[in-house]
Amino acid sequence: MTLVPVTYKGGIFQHDIVVDLIEDLGGYVVQKHVLAQEVVLQCFVPKEDIELIRRISRPLFGEVTDSPLVGTEIAVVSMSLEIHHLPHPSCDIAEYVRRLGAKSNMVSLARGPGKRIAGMNDEERDVINEHDIAVFLLGNFEHCIEHKMPVFRRGIEVPLVLCGGPDIGALKRITDPPVDGYVGNVGRFMRRTKEADELSKLDEIIAEITRVLEKRREEIAKDPLSVAPARLMGLIKERIPEILEVTSPTPLTVQMAGLRVKLPYDTFAERVKQIEVEDGVLLGEIAEVQPSRMRDYILVRVLPFSETNTVV
Amino acid sequence: MLAVEYFEVECPEPQGAEYYRQIANDVLLDHNLLKVINKLHIYIDPKVPVFVAVATLKRITTVVRVGDCANINPLEGKMTLSLSDETYLAPMLKIFWDRFGKDHVDQPDRFTIILTGVPATPAEIEQIVIGDPSASLHKDLIYAFRCIAPEGFRLRSEVFSKDKLTFVASENTLAEDIGALVAEMFKKMGEVPP
Repeated sequence: MTLVPVTYKGGIFQHDIVVDLIEDLGGYVVQKHVLAQEVVLQCFVPKEDIELIRRISRPLFGEVTDSPLVGTEIAVVSMSLEIHHLPHPSCDIAEYVRRLGAKSNMVSLARGPGKRIAGMNDEERDVINEHDIAVFLLGNFEHCIEHKMPVFRRGIEVPLVLCGGPDIGALKRITDPPVDGYVGNVGRFMRRTKEADELSKLDEIIAEITRVLEKRREEIAKDPLSVAPARLMGLIKERIPEILEVTSPTPLTVQMAGLRVKLPYDTFAERVKQIEVEDGVLLGEIAEVQPSRMRDYILVRVLPFSETNTVV
Repeated sequence: MLAVEYFEVECPEPQGAEYYRQIANDVLLDHNLLKVINKLHIYIDPKVPVFVAVATLKRITTVVRVGDCANINPLEGKMTLSLSDETYLAPMLKIFWDRFGKDHVDQPDRFTIILTGVPATPAEIEQIVIGDPSASLHKDLIYAFRCIAPEGFRLRSEVFSKDKLTFVASENTLAEDIGALVAEMFKKMGEVPP
């Protein structure tokens, strides 16, 4: 059974029919947003059952669309929190990837701006490495990007998409060794992205992120995970009811190969490890439960089949 | 940048120059400062690195008076001021309190001020100066240029004269002969440095 990420949009009336259907088919609802009279579900559903969901939700005016970014956590790395980079372009981009189902976090660097003075500390590096992909938003000058990019990529282990003012050819020329994705002509700007050409640039960023993530998905498929992170999400919700009291927008953030649990590590890590996934297989045996560098959260990294010899 | 007589951005990287032209335009437009700038020349060299902005300013002589943002209706010893714009409300109230005393100034709601038994005619009150936009002009311009300049360029030098402005920024210590570069920029605009 192949699970594919989709977004369901429909009226709030009888939407639980759709939620039940997805769960009965073996799918998972990753995020649920209720906006006035509308419900948006970001979910993984079996590929062959998408038509069935469409058919059943038609009387409810539901709409099912492909959302390649559902179930991913993206770090949008902005050079600083100053007016120079916020709200445009950093927030515009972070918000745009959110619309397509991703959970985006903005990581602002303490010493990001400048050429000679730019740098990244270990906390920033570790936080970025906890994501599925990092989108670096750099400035307008080729010379500066060439100078500071080697400093920023040091120690970054996740795929990296580089956005900068110079065109894509120049960006490729100045980054050695190459990074995973490039989007040119998106540097620093001080206006809201609302014109057609600006929005098409945002679409270009999404396309590049999707391409890089697809590659990563293929790599994961070669050595499948011991358990689907979305499944762990349901289990944790069931076994640790305290998570329901967390007020974060996504108390459990599903990643491609893991899960962020927004509960204090010291208090809950042991309980998370002891969750029985299936037939005596404990969560702690098929996943690493680590303290996250983001606040005092728990980070669950699911181990691949080659390490555990188990798939549940 | 329709209102500006001369506007150039110079940079060894032509694409970077184009982006900074757009940024300067957006920032000055957002801060409503285009109307005070006459000529503007920006030079950026990321290799040095240095950011230089030189500008000549238009003279702002207008001051804001009570009559510009309020209508006065005198009635039976009372004067009712209906405000159309509350931008200068706080300094206006302060001036009224100082001049007439708090007992004679009443503000029943956000857009109304009632003056009771004040020793002034409506025409005199209309002429009271409540604000001078040019007072904060230099501060606003420095803030705008800080937004335009690359963020890492934190070592700055700003020089103002009555109608000219020089803003230099870099991430390294500014070179001693930076004055020569500034003079060159003014020359390109057909002006002399302040």
